[in-house]
Amino acid sequence: MEMMTVKIKRFDGRNSYYQKYEVPYEKGKTILWLLTTIREEQDPTLNFTSACRHAICGSCAVQINGNAFLACNTPLDDVLDTYKTMNLTFEPLKNFEVIKDLVIVWEPKMEKMTKVKPWIIPGEEGSKEIGFLQSEEDFQQIAAPTDCILCGVCASECNQLAVNQDGYLEPFILNKAYRYIVDTRDGAPEQHLKPVLENDLWKCLHCMQCVSQCPKTIPLTDQIAFLRSATMAMGELDNQGAKHAYAFHDDVKNKGRLNETMLPIKTDGLVQTALTKIPFALRMVKKGKINPLHMPKQISGIQEVRKLYEYAEEVKS
Amino acid sequence: MLKFDVVVVGAGGAGMMAALSASEKNNLKVAVLSKIFPTRSHTGAAQGGINAAMGYRDSTDSPEKHFRDTVKGSDFLADQDAVEFFTSGMPDMISELDYYGVPFSRDEKGQVAQRPFGGASSPRTCYSADKTGHVILHALYEQCLKNHVQFLNEWFLLSLVVEDGKFEGLVAMDIRDGKIHPIQAKSVVIASGGFGRIYWSRTTNAINMTGDGTAACFEAGIPLKDPEFIQFHPTGLAQTGVLLSEACRGEGGYLINKDGERFMARYAPEKMELGPRDLVSRSIETEIKEGRGFGEGMTSYVLMDLRHLGEKKIMERLPQVRELALEFEGVDLIKEPVPIRPSCHYTMGGIHVSDYKTCSTPIEGIHAAGECCSVSIHGANRLGGNSVADVVFFGKYAGLGAKESAMRRSFGRTEKLEQEANAWKTKFKTIREKTTGVSMFSIRNRLAETMWNYVGIFRTESEMAQALATVDELIEEYKDAYAGDASVKYNMAFINYVEIGNILKLARAVAMGALNRRESRGSHSRGDYPTRNDEQFLKHTLIYKDGENYRLEYAPVTITNYQPEERKY
Repeated sequence: MEMMTVKIKRFDGRNSYYQKYEVPYEKGKTILWLLTTIREEQDPTLNFTSACRHAICGSCAVQINGNAFLACNTPLDDVLDTYKTMNLTFEPLKNFEVIKDLVIVWEPKMEKMTKVKPWIIPGEEGSKEIGFLQSEEDFQQIAAPTDCILCGVCASECNQLAVNQDGYLEPFILNKAYRYIVDTRDGAPEQHLKPVLENDLWKCLHCMQCVSQCPKTIPLTDQIAFLRSATMAMGELDNQGAKHAYAFHDDVKNKGRLNETMLPIKTDGLVQTALTKIPFALRMVKKGKINPLHMPKQISGIQEVRKLYEYAEEVKS
Repeated sequence: MLKFDVVVVGAGGAGMMAALSASEKNNLKVAVLSKIFPTRSHTGAAQGGINAAMGYRDSTDSPEKHFRDTVKGSDFLADQDAVEFFTSGMPDMISELDYYGVPFSRDEKGQVAQRPFGGASSPRTCYSADKTGHVILHALYEQCLKNHVQFLNEWFLLSLVVEDGKFEGLVAMDIRDGKIHPIQAKSVVIASGGFGRIYWSRTTNAINMTGDGTAACFEAGIPLKDPEFIQFHPTGLAQTGVLLSEACRGEGGYLINKDGERFMARYAPEKMELGPRDLVSRSIETEIKEGRGFGEGMTSYVLMDLRHLGEKKIMERLPQVRELALEFEGVDLIKEPVPIRPSCHYTMGGIHVSDYKTCSTPIEGIHAAGECCSVSIHGANRLGGNSVADVVFFGKYAGLGAKESAMRRSFGRTEKLEQEANAWKTKFKTIREKTTGVSMFSIRNRLAETMWNYVGIFRTESEMAQALATVDELIEEYKDAYAGDASVKYNMAFINYVEIGNILKLARAVAMGALNRRESRGSHSRGDYPTRNDEQFLKHTLIYKDGENYRLEYAPVTITNYQPEERKY
């Protein structure tokens, strides 16, 4: 019989350690089956959460070999095949407080979520007595974001959150804000959007981990791009993120390429750059990574680049 | 001692609606206690929709027609005054949910979309794609956040304390730190969901649907109404019981036994696989019982074969079904048939609600709503789309009822509460320190097997008598059950131990109700009494628990508009 070696990170409230279990491999099972089998056949003290076991309640997300998965709808065979191993290491989701073993706490995240007013602020056209009218097309806007099951996979995978728990919002919180910003029944989208901007919206690293692991394939990164545009459309241009975006936008439009030397100055201003970036820039110069005297010339075919800009403007309007 | 005006037990659709309505426009102190984080609740698993006669899709629809359909669907066991109250209030409920931000699918006019559903004479099921329960659950949770509803998450109800027929409070454990608390309250709403887990692996229900609130009420002296009525779905996945959509049969899937036969030819030669749910369920179980299934015992199954439809049709029409079989059963149904077996879906019976307008029970101060109880609007069989409707509608009225109770009542005494909490503390300690005994999971699995085989899809006198005897033996064995975790904090083994005690209690009532109902009605199908018998059994079962003894009584059904007739579709 083929055996799997399963290492699980245990935590009893004070100490944490890894515990090893040997489990006979079976074909066609899920990760949740594996955890349940260990608990019921080997160790009733092992704790994890699960409920519906068909990917709608969001209880059972865990990390396996460093990535977050929903246990109930992840085929064991897929994981063994992906990592090409019979050794699996389970840990609780990253970026969450752990209460015991693989069990995490959600209340602080919900508290944080209230920053974006994660509820409808009903528009004047609707009432409790007759509800709202909403077109099929407008409903489609909120169809994907309301797939979210609050499983926490995106937050566990988020690399910005790993270094910025206090400042940055979990992708599922951004999703919730987005969901009401684009809901035509909501009467005050800016009340959801402002807090998003104030909480480091521009700091998403574009690593795409959230979107690639989301069990509901919600287009989280597209939403972040939308939220950024929406803040600029609202006139929020005087911030690092918007200026950075415009630096790219303008350089490429003018010259067809980016002027990396000027990028920090355009983003942070001359004074801030001088204060924070100069020692770093000097080290880069010394290692030959940048040449401060190099001013990029306009590329040939710049007309074609500008046509792309015109096309993008056309599509947007 | 913790003290609230109103405590709601359970944070699904019914519980959160109750909390919202109990705390609206007043200064009552309301808390919601739930053993799992609110958005994990089983309301979220409801896919198809929520019934309300809006008349958007069919202008001839009316609450009156919804009323008639529900009564007929119930096989005339529903209380008609309650059903009429429910169906006439549902259209307003949908508008209220819309106003709470529930993302409903829309029709071309921008109104809430409606679709046809089984047993409904008009297309009146409002929906949000295939995740109606999920979006309602999340919208209600958002409203609770907005209104600062206090949640006690991962708190587990241990018992209700009643003195002189009046509610005084409850005892609950904070799972995270293992502390057991007496909680004083003026009223309580039990909204803890159904108890499909009496069949353990053979249910579509979430793993936590163990009827804790129902068992606590039963223990506190409230009878269980009609517990024998359990709805089954013919096509659950074999390993997990997870529901495989009816669309498989609709699109022309074959049901195949071990000999490669399309066995439905024996039971429904014309309709074949498209026969009604109960008939298909019974046919599958007959094949298995007579040795023509695959596998053994609780893991027996037959096959659903879709290969003849071809890859193109499967990918076009059943992509989600294919995904489901792939993820949960490890089978690609383009290439091979998928193992299936019927699965318990819903418990129509539960806590006896004696006044539908306030959802109150015979014990002053205790109210109940949702699948944990029986109002009864579902009678012997619930219609699809009526369960989410039930939870939000009666959740609201239970909240209002509990609010009235709390405003009328004052806090009682605390002695019995303290005593009860201390008894539980002792019990917790005993179970933690126990190092040997009968495995609780073994008791749970044997209970499920007994209930499935003998008080399942079809029932006979001798088998049920056998089942009742086995359940009694298991209740005896449970006294020496071993949970296996000595820790105080987050001791889920102890929680499971109490849950298993709860399903044992409830299963015994199911078997007793079923054994004594010598007729077939709705979901209750007896081989030895194959027809409905209105003369003797047009009445509600009420089972009381007096200590270790169960006592059976019957109560009349309220009939207003519709006299019983043969139920034909």
